[in-house]
Amino acid sequence: MSIAGSVLEAVRAESALHGGARVTRAGLRIGELSGVAVESLRFCLEVLVADTDLAGLGFEIEFAPWTRRCRACGAEFRVTDARPECAACGNGDTEAAGGDQMELSFLELEEP
Amino acid sequence: MRVPLERKVLNENDRIAAALRERFQRNGTFCLNLISSPGSGKTSLLERTLAGFDAARRVAVLTGDIQTDNDARRLARYGFPVRQITTGGACHLDASMVERHLTDWPVDELEILFLENVGNLVCPTSYDLGEEARAVLLSVTEGEDKPLKYPATFHHADLMVLNKIDLLPYVPFSMELARENARRVQPEIEILEVSCTTGAGLEQWNEWIQRHL
Repeated sequence: MSIAGSVLEAVRAESALHGGARVTRAGLRIGELSGVAVESLRFCLEVLVADTDLAGLGFEIEFAPWTRRCRACGAEFRVTDARPECAACGNGDTEAAGGDQMELSFLELEEP
Repeated sequence: MRVPLERKVLNENDRIAAALRERFQRNGTFCLNLISSPGSGKTSLLERTLAGFDAARRVAVLTGDIQTDNDARRLARYGFPVRQITTGGACHLDASMVERHLTDWPVDELEILFLENVGNLVCPTSYDLGEEARAVLLSVTEGEDKPLKYPATFHHADLMVLNKIDLLPYVPFSMELARENARRVQPEIEILEVSCTTGAGLEQWNEWIQRHL
């Protein structure tokens, strides 16, 4: 719920940067390793926007998978079953590449 | 009109955390964020740690809980400054709570600041507190698969402390499997084994802290 609150703060701050235009839709990118359950977040957002200036705001939530990059062959691959080995060449020397995201990815604003 | 963005949802928290981190680094304060399920032994580990410190050391603790100041009272017995952060419902600490609770403290003179997070393996993960390192505790009365069930928390940890190893003879817990699971999620994680009851492994834990000062 506090993350949903932060999402709405971010939406309001960005809308203020765009002249306070009414926001009709907001995009979020939520990583597999962000610690956020997408469905719970969606529920909390819907509860929080009801009866506010943001009532009716729709959310488009994009899931960003947990990825690592191979230090040997450079391939970026999705981590499945928590296996850190490179999915392309099998090398064990890999580094974190993605999945932490918790971002506002776009806003749709009403034309003035 | 569609406006593409890359704004971090927690950017306000991250901003406060970055200011705290800069302050800790400038003053040579090692700040450690301790995360675990409720009951894994965060407070016990801190009690043993404080009990072993010379009274002249400049060490302080902020301890978070949803309710009660029980942990702060337990920890205050060792003579170091301790403050309770009662979150009143929030299941994690955030950077503004830390900043607020450092008011009036000689923070800039500290060599170590321990942040005992609220017992929870999910929400604390998302909140940067300005710490230099993050330690996650896992006790042997839990499952070895916790790193796989809560990968975000273990993925963001620098150290895993396996606690309550004195209970190993009585529980079906495989240390090897726990280590393997943690390394699958975070290949660079350091791992220590301790018992806050017998004191086993505390020397290595103290050495680990010392290495960061």
